[in-house]
Amino acid sequence: MNRRRALQQLAMVTGGLVLIPSCDFSKEEALKAYQNLGITEADKQVLTSVVNVILPGKNLKGAEEISLQDFVLVMANDCMEEKEQKSFVKGLKELDNYTKKQFGKVFTDMDAPTGADAFRAILAADTATEKTTENIRHFLGTTKKFAIQGYMTSEYFLTEISPYELVPGGFKGKVNIEETEIIKTNG
Amino acid sequence: MANLNTKHRQNNTYDAIVIGSGMSGGWAAKELTEKGLKTLILERGREVKHIKDYPTTNKYPWEFEHRGQIPAEVQKENPIVSRCYAFREDAQHFFVKDQEHPYVQEQPFDWIRGYQTGGKSLLWARHVQRWSDFDFEGPARDGFAVDWPIRYKDLAPWYSYVEKFVGVSGNKDGLPHLPDGEFLPPMELSAVEHYFKSFVSKKYKGRDVIIARCAHITGNEEYYAKQGRTLCQHRVLCQRGCPFGGYFSSNSATLPWAMNTGNLTLQHHAVVHSIIYDEKKEKAVGVKVIDAQSKEETEFYADLIFLNASALNTNLILLNSISNRFPEGLGNDNGLLGKYIAFHNYRAGVSGQYEGLLEYTTEGRRPTSAYIPRFRNLMKQETDFLRGYAAGFSGSRGIERDLSDVGENLEKGILNPKYGVWGVGSHMMGETIPKEESQVGLDPKQTDEWGIPLLKVNVGYDDNDEKMVKDYIEQVSEMFEAAGFTNIRTRDDHRAPGLDIHEMGGVRMGKDPKTSLLNKWNQLHAVPNVYVTDGACMTSTGTQNPSITYMALAARAVDHAIRERGK
Repeated sequence: MNRRRALQQLAMVTGGLVLIPSCDFSKEEALKAYQNLGITEADKQVLTSVVNVILPGKNLKGAEEISLQDFVLVMANDCMEEKEQKSFVKGLKELDNYTKKQFGKVFTDMDAPTGADAFRAILAADTATEKTTENIRHFLGTTKKFAIQGYMTSEYFLTEISPYELVPGGFKGKVNIEETEIIKTNG
Repeated sequence: MANLNTKHRQNNTYDAIVIGSGMSGGWAAKELTEKGLKTLILERGREVKHIKDYPTTNKYPWEFEHRGQIPAEVQKENPIVSRCYAFREDAQHFFVKDQEHPYVQEQPFDWIRGYQTGGKSLLWARHVQRWSDFDFEGPARDGFAVDWPIRYKDLAPWYSYVEKFVGVSGNKDGLPHLPDGEFLPPMELSAVEHYFKSFVSKKYKGRDVIIARCAHITGNEEYYAKQGRTLCQHRVLCQRGCPFGGYFSSNSATLPWAMNTGNLTLQHHAVVHSIIYDEKKEKAVGVKVIDAQSKEETEFYADLIFLNASALNTNLILLNSISNRFPEGLGNDNGLLGKYIAFHNYRAGVSGQYEGLLEYTTEGRRPTSAYIPRFRNLMKQETDFLRGYAAGFSGSRGIERDLSDVGENLEKGILNPKYGVWGVGSHMMGETIPKEESQVGLDPKQTDEWGIPLLKVNVGYDDNDEKMVKDYIEQVSEMFEAAGFTNIRTRDDHRAPGLDIHEMGGVRMGKDPKTSLLNKWNQLHAVPNVYVTDGACMTSTGTQNPSITYMALAARAVDHAIRERGK
């Protein structure tokens, strides 16, 4: 409940910011809705660019269209151990600088295919020797996990793509699989 | 003053008091009120009205902020209840939180509780297999605990009686060790379960795979309409409370039924401190209650008391009911109260895959599973451990998606689910041996916020349990392998006792007052107007999910009490 209120307040406070895209976020205070994380609006922009790379909306609605960044942050803030959270936030804050150095561009400025290539390149690193991107890899991996979870349990997905039946009404133990059938993944 | 007291006593006097509104207390109240007795139920928790107080019941997955997961902070504050499979975002409000009701663990014991109208009957897994004489004769045959004072024939009509009202879906399998009952149509086995059933019956003499009997309405709609309940809709969201009344709970069935008689008073926030014993009358005369919120103390009076507070809390109340006549707890002349506690061993599981029958799948959802009745040491002793285990079994088609990439490929992966092979799984439900050293008692120093001593729990596994875990894993793995299942994995999660939520005993039934607390009618030997018909009364545990047996015992005990009153 507190978070919902905080998010509403946030929307009121930051509503104006949308109109000023060049606004400097560097001095932004920690977002109240995600107190355990201690992240700023600028950090949230980075995360949003990451979920948009993970699910760019080519064949489906894109991540941001269904506010997936909010779900990822809720889960990271509420459902992760403190140690994991620290690594997640470090990785988030390191991402732009790292891609700037490594790929010549901050992540937030990359288009979806370029961002996806960077995402793959970072995660492909040898985990035993590559220590500098440890937090970034953890951040990207966790964000992908929550993004997929949130996407496949979103109202959009469970009504328009793979409808969830709240009241299925029955169970059959043995039905033939038809070649053309669309798999019902939710009963 | 004298007048005031008399008035108070009259106002607070009932024909019968039932302590606890859960599975067995609900039954006691239904039977008592139907027979015309003015009955008071004392429920320590808050009120949960059927449907009205199921806040999550019609929510979609996306309406849960954490999609069902319990936040890390809540888990950290509640390590015990967080280990329960059903403690999720959608049902967390029906569970007792660790800090609210502390207890003392002399050995690790996960005590899972539900303090509200209906108790844990809202949350149970709804399997209702009958006992047979292979269970009732177990202690006598194998030389542990004491002989049960009853046999299957004593309880069989009462199983039928409660099954009819509860609504039990099941198949008549004709097994002597798992007797058939009053069944509504069974739910279907999945294709792989059906295959395994046929395979096992051919290859293993005396072993069976059946569809579990479960407390879901699958037929006879007109009859259940009278209870305001209807057919199970296969939502498999039971732990939230069912708006259809599709499965049985006190909230949906026995309590409204009892209320409709006009004879029931249901008092919430009523923490029972003790049962009052009158030494002149040589019987229990009432119950001392502390209001959970105001902490105010009240006494209620009745000539008949049913104790159904859940197995361990029933022990606690009796141990705390001290008088000159019973300095060690009510009815505790032999010093055995609180002892011989046992539970069901749920530690182990076996899983695997089946690569056949790939042209089939299942459709819809099913709120139960297949069931492998006990086969070990059944007809005769055949291993180096006593008793045996039943097992849950289920198999369904896996669904796979390629989620390895990001971007457009990930979207394609999400959009293109494919059927995987069949996944199969089993878990054990082992009988454990009640032992004197497995016991609960009152902490001599610490009390809860109502001034009631904290319960100390000292229950653990023994060598018999270890051997049984090993045998279950060996036998089920072998059966899986023989059936052609692949990728077989076994687990022993070493969970603490209690997490099975089948704790039993401490106030056991028996023939002899020297070695038991209750007689064959569930009356305290020494205080016959007190009946105990919840899990505390169990002399041994069997392998079956126990609720249906508690319900049958409760209905039978009320029938006895009514007949005694008539004399």
